[in-house]
Amino acid sequence: MNPRLRFSLVLFLSLALSPAPSLSWKEEEFRNCNQTPFCERARSRTPGSSRLIASKVSLSDGSLVASLVDRDDSSGNPLSLTLTSYQDGVLRLVVDEDPSFDPPRRRFRVPDVVLPEFESSKKLWLQRIAEERIGDDVELSVVVYLNEDYEAVLRRDPFEVFVRERSSKDRVLGLNSHGMFDFEQLRGKKEEGQEWEERFRGNTDSRPHGPQSISFDVSFYGADFVYGIPERAMSLALRPTRGPGIEFSEPYRLFNLDVFEYLHESPFGLYGSIPFMLSHGKGRGSVGFFWLNAAEMQIDVLGEGWDAYNDGKIVLPSSLKRIDTFWMSEAGIVDAFFFVGPGPKDVVRQYTSVTGLPAMPQFFATAYHQCRWNYRDEQDVAEVDAKFDEHDIPYDVLWLDIEHTDGKKYFTWDKVLFPTPAEMQRKLAAEGRHMVTIVDPHIKRDDRYYIHKEATRNGYYVKDASGKDYNGWCWPGSSSYLDMVNPEIRSWWGDKFSLQSYSGSTPSLYIWNDMNEPSVFNGPEVSMPRDAIHCGSVEHREVHNAYGYYFHMATSDGLLKRGDGQDRPFVLSRAMFAGSQRYGAVWTGDNTADWDHLRVSVPMLLTLGLTGMSFSGADVGGYFGNPDPKLLVRWYQLGAYYPFFRGHAHQDTKRREPWLFGERNTELMREAIRVRYSLLPYFYTLFREANTTGVPVLRPLWMEFPSDEVAFDKDDSFMVGNSLLVHGVFNEHAKHVSVYLPGKQSWFDLRTGTPYPGGTTQKLEVSESSIPAFQKAGTIVQRKDRFRRSTAQMVNDPYTLVIALNSSKEAEGELYVDDGKTFDFLSGGFIHRRFVYKEGTLSSYNVAPTASGNARFNTKCEIERIILLGPAGQPKNALVRPGNLKTEVEYGPLQLFGTGSSNVLTIRKPGVRISEDWTIQLS
Amino acid sequence: MKGETFLHILLLTLIMVSDLFSRFVVGSSSPPLLGIAPQDEKYYQASSDGIKCRDGSGKFSKAQLNDDFCDCLDGTDEPGICSILFVAVLAFELWLLHEDDGSLKGTSACPNGRFYCRNAGHIPLVLYSSRVNDGICDCCDGSDEYDGQVKCSNTCWEAGKAARDKLTKRISTFQEGVAMRKHEIERAKLAIAKDEKELSKLKNEERVLKGLVQRLKERKELIEIAEEKERSQKEKEEQDRKEAEQKATEEKSKSAKDIDPETKEHEVDEGGETKEDFDNDIVGLLDDPVGTAEGDGDAYSLPEIQEAAAVSSDVVHDADENAASDQANEQGDVPVKPEELSKEELGRLVASRWTGEKVDEEIKQDSSEETHKEDDKREDVLDEDLYEDDDDGYVSDSVDDNKKYEYRDPEDEIREDLFADDNGDSTSHHTNYSDSDSDDEPDWEDIIVEMIWSWLEKTMIMARRFLRAFNLFQRPFDKSEAASVRKEYDESSSKLSKIQSRISALSEKLKHDFGPEKVFYSFHGRCLESKQNKYVYKVCPYKEASQKEDYSTTRLGQWEKFDESYRVMVFSGGDRCWNGPDRSLKVKLRCSLTDELTDVDEPSRCEYMALLSTPAACTDDRLKELQDKLDAMNKNEPQSHDEL
Repeated sequence: MNPRLRFSLVLFLSLALSPAPSLSWKEEEFRNCNQTPFCERARSRTPGSSRLIASKVSLSDGSLVASLVDRDDSSGNPLSLTLTSYQDGVLRLVVDEDPSFDPPRRRFRVPDVVLPEFESSKKLWLQRIAEERIGDDVELSVVVYLNEDYEAVLRRDPFEVFVRERSSKDRVLGLNSHGMFDFEQLRGKKEEGQEWEERFRGNTDSRPHGPQSISFDVSFYGADFVYGIPERAMSLALRPTRGPGIEFSEPYRLFNLDVFEYLHESPFGLYGSIPFMLSHGKGRGSVGFFWLNAAEMQIDVLGEGWDAYNDGKIVLPSSLKRIDTFWMSEAGIVDAFFFVGPGPKDVVRQYTSVTGLPAMPQFFATAYHQCRWNYRDEQDVAEVDAKFDEHDIPYDVLWLDIEHTDGKKYFTWDKVLFPTPAEMQRKLAAEGRHMVTIVDPHIKRDDRYYIHKEATRNGYYVKDASGKDYNGWCWPGSSSYLDMVNPEIRSWWGDKFSLQSYSGSTPSLYIWNDMNEPSVFNGPEVSMPRDAIHCGSVEHREVHNAYGYYFHMATSDGLLKRGDGQDRPFVLSRAMFAGSQRYGAVWTGDNTADWDHLRVSVPMLLTLGLTGMSFSGADVGGYFGNPDPKLLVRWYQLGAYYPFFRGHAHQDTKRREPWLFGERNTELMREAIRVRYSLLPYFYTLFREANTTGVPVLRPLWMEFPSDEVAFDKDDSFMVGNSLLVHGVFNEHAKHVSVYLPGKQSWFDLRTGTPYPGGTTQKLEVSESSIPAFQKAGTIVQRKDRFRRSTAQMVNDPYTLVIALNSSKEAEGELYVDDGKTFDFLSGGFIHRRFVYKEGTLSSYNVAPTASGNARFNTKCEIERIILLGPAGQPKNALVRPGNLKTEVEYGPLQLFGTGSSNVLTIRKPGVRISEDWTIQLS
Repeated sequence: MKGETFLHILLLTLIMVSDLFSRFVVGSSSPPLLGIAPQDEKYYQASSDGIKCRDGSGKFSKAQLNDDFCDCLDGTDEPGICSILFVAVLAFELWLLHEDDGSLKGTSACPNGRFYCRNAGHIPLVLYSSRVNDGICDCCDGSDEYDGQVKCSNTCWEAGKAARDKLTKRISTFQEGVAMRKHEIERAKLAIAKDEKELSKLKNEERVLKGLVQRLKERKELIEIAEEKERSQKEKEEQDRKEAEQKATEEKSKSAKDIDPETKEHEVDEGGETKEDFDNDIVGLLDDPVGTAEGDGDAYSLPEIQEAAAVSSDVVHDADENAASDQANEQGDVPVKPEELSKEELGRLVASRWTGEKVDEEIKQDSSEETHKEDDKREDVLDEDLYEDDDDGYVSDSVDDNKKYEYRDPEDEIREDLFADDNGDSTSHHTNYSDSDSDDEPDWEDIIVEMIWSWLEKTMIMARRFLRAFNLFQRPFDKSEAASVRKEYDESSSKLSKIQSRISALSEKLKHDFGPEKVFYSFHGRCLESKQNKYVYKVCPYKEASQKEDYSTTRLGQWEKFDESYRVMVFSGGDRCWNGPDRSLKVKLRCSLTDELTDVDEPSRCEYMALLSTPAACTDDRLKELQDKLDAMNKNEPQSHDEL
């Protein structure tokens, strides 16, 4: 063809076929509710359509049991219902097919999520049931004891389960209050003309067991807002998805997916699913609802007036403000937990009593992590490491992404790029630094690869619907996926992390689990087909949302084994499920280097924290794209307060290590990272608090100020523990930010010590050198103000205490310290102090329980500086007891780096050890 | 950065020293503060008011000096072994008067503090205060770890010796390199002078030749008018004759046809086109009768001609490819129906979103590659079909661009065009050029100039002859004369265009930034290669850089400039990366005795780095720095080690 002609033709074609925006491309790749038969069916249900009534109510094994039968049709099989009370205000409702009626197969119950000790020792054995008539019900309802303040009610007809306050009888949380409960029972064979298969974008789901979905409504009484059900990039307070004025909204989807370039404002589910929702209201406080179910779930938050068309059959106590929600799942059973609260921290504690407390991380893991796809080779690693030192920027962990492997075979090293991995790790370890390598669940189908050989031989792979090893496509090309639902396979996998097995690994190497949704490039919705088979004939659809959880668990257990149970594992996972907090950290996946993603990281992490995942972070800088230096600096300033603080970038982005944007930006990022290092003792104490109470490191304002209504939907600021409030700067050109400071006490600017009154919105000038951060009056925060290469060198460094006095000239705070590495803390090997400042005297008390084990931890660390903010008067001297030593009180800097530091009252070198009891009296 | 820190500290020192003398009267008799340099002692003498922090952020008492508590944000109160002063050589020498009794240790208390290790036997080091007592031995003398947590052995002598040896070696390389560099500068001067001389001669010549060509053109046009007249006359005669014949024939037969007007038009068109070609395009040389103009026509061998022809068609072809590959890129975003792909194809397609790998060609095998096949047309060109099938050539927007990406320097080509029979291939040009100071070899620049003049003279003589002959303006003119004029015109105008090309090439060349004293002159028109794993990297200063793998070439960038005071060459605007920037390359220059390209790396996606070792980077300044450093190290050798 004539080249000119060809040129014009091509030009014409390329114009004619110019691509649609990539957004629409993604949207159609994923199913919406209308393309998801169970969701579409469930969403069309109307209030009162449930015809179930509870019958044959009795006590059995300390639980209340009953049958759910159709009011009008006695031909169907009844469902079995079990209601159990647990300590601390947890009610569990299980509804399943009744095994005595021989259902075609056993429905999947998610194993290994509910703590064994919860089931074994927290159960309250019900001795008796009381009956009571509700309204003008024909049937009597059954009342069950929950705790001193709450009781549960099983209403027989219409069937409803709710929790109410014992004294006021006010409902707090109810299931099927609107009569929308539906449970599709398994059938042996298809009915005439019925199609069980489902198709979506060229994928066929054989759905051999037919429809088996479950849906029901849950009402949160006295709630102003509901929160939770991660993971999605959206506001903290969940907006209604159905109701008047909301026409086209999708329900919140819980289905773990690898969503390429996810949007910053979408109800669409991302990499993890935690089917746990909390509510909060000014009058009532908080309650929580958790549905343990790993199949695809869709949840509607119903807007006010959504049931206006209701003909009045459903009568709810109208005096109570409430938020109704509608829960739909494709498979599984009803295994639901009601948490009575009443405070936000109570709900989180109750939830984590079921699913487990967040693991206690090693000290190093709470510091700054440096990652990139990919640090190319050993020389690159050495140079990046050296540059941090050259610029006096602390960091603790250097990460290697998939390119470090030999052909994407995990546990192997590219021989050219990483010829001496162990030596490389030892060099880092000599500076007290650690390394993390990536290990994903897709296994390269390469007959020379030992993992693949063993997995094939042992039948450890997930099978496809025909029973063959499922073969999908991921980084290595053709891959199979280990069936981590099986404990035997998890144990086998765990052994692969031993130093002997993982060649080139050293004890300072930790692990990163990515792609564990699982991500399958050529699978439906970039994941595994729902009719794939796991051990015990479990269908993938039943276990999907927990696949990554089991993989995370197996990896974490592997590291635990590697260290003979003495070394706390560190495993970062992208996918998650209820309970993932027990196995390590998570991050918000492949975000984008723009201001919107910086902004949305706050509600995303707050939501994760509320649902147990305290140790979480977003990629600092944004994974895709190149952040403007201003954005990058702001991201470091915000990221310094993320529980998990890691810089990461896609391989196509420009290098963005903190020293690459000019002297000033280097300085700003160094300061941001130093803020984190300085606050590490405080952070570590918070990690321990999360580890013992479930209360997350990062908290929404309302968790600390549950009766301050203005704070209820704030998600541009957050609390770090109970003492610090941080407000991000999310706009490149922001000159001012308006910061709401909740509560009645004052707040002190972290940098300048300037006080601001609580309960006000402050319009504050924004400086480039920090984002707004404040210490609450009445708190004591610990810092270490010496900046080292990494946390390892900080061990012996002295502390600084910053006391922010409240209006009664009082303050208190806690400090937790242990060896930062082992499990000795479980047997008493830690220091836990409470500092109380009252009537001009600061006292340090031991609050560690006595006799918690044989291990002991001690440190010679002293306090080098005590700073007093607020109405401390004009003390000149401080008397330290024991010893009756006098030390000076003078004015000194609040912060030792950066600009804008002011002179504040400082007790200089009191010379007291943090491990001992002492008092310091000011005069 | 390190340099900056050093300067910063030095500056501080000076400010401080002057400050000191202006504020305090010399002559205090109190005992010296150990570890503080004499001129600094005054600063640390406590008054009743205490000692001020240098940055004015506060003050501190004498007892608070180095007491492991930060009173001054700038670290004045925790000065290490007088960290600030001792960086300065002056201060350093003063320090030598003091005994190191180990009693004055800087601390880690101030984040902005610095710690100075004397490192006797090696070079002194200024550390961030964060390194003090952190359990890691940073100073070879171990002085940064004095709290007893770790024991650091003194390794300064061994390390210092190794460092001194290395430095000594480096200095000797530099010394030799500096000499080579000077030599290079001399040669560059000469070469530039020659270029300039040639340029000015060529410009003169161009002027002369322009006049000549103009006159020949006028002459030719006159001839053509005459010819035209004669021809139309003849035609008319012919027509008359034919008409007569036709009449005669028509009478016999009815099948004759008149075709003449068309023929005539055709001829005129052709003539016009040819003229244009001669005026504008070197390709016009195609028509140069071989062997008629004193041998220089021999320069145009067939393949070159075809190559030249290929270049122009190539442009269109490339633009075409460009558009095609654009389209292929965009296809990644076009909704692809998964049903139409195999499982593996879908897997690759989805993976490619993250990796940016082109999956289309892997799947369909018909999409163009992103990388470019090597631009070695010499063989392909001969087979046009083959050439068409190849995804060859560079993406370019215009003819000009295309020229830039030709492998050979246009200047060289013109040289060759003009003097191929005398000067051989381009490689030998470089050899000759770089050895042009050698007496054995003829200076080809001079030869060129001479040749041009001798040829020009001949031409002028011929032309004069013709012009004279035509002065008579006879009619009917001499046909052989007309042919000669035409030929002469063709030759002269083609010569003119060649000279003009040469002039523009030379001017372009001389416009380049050849660095201080034109030391980089010899890099013009040269390329350096480095093989790393499967890639061959090729760097042609002042031109372009590329990465070759088997038969594909990726452009890493076109020459942009020198950066960082001629220590870095920058190539930018190379082939675009998927989802990323245009490729670019920075070549760091390093002193060495030979020219060598090494250590090509891609630290950030599509941003390449390489190291070019060359004597051109061996500057006196650097040498002096190194010598000073060595002097400092040698001075610092502790006596006790001399017998070791």
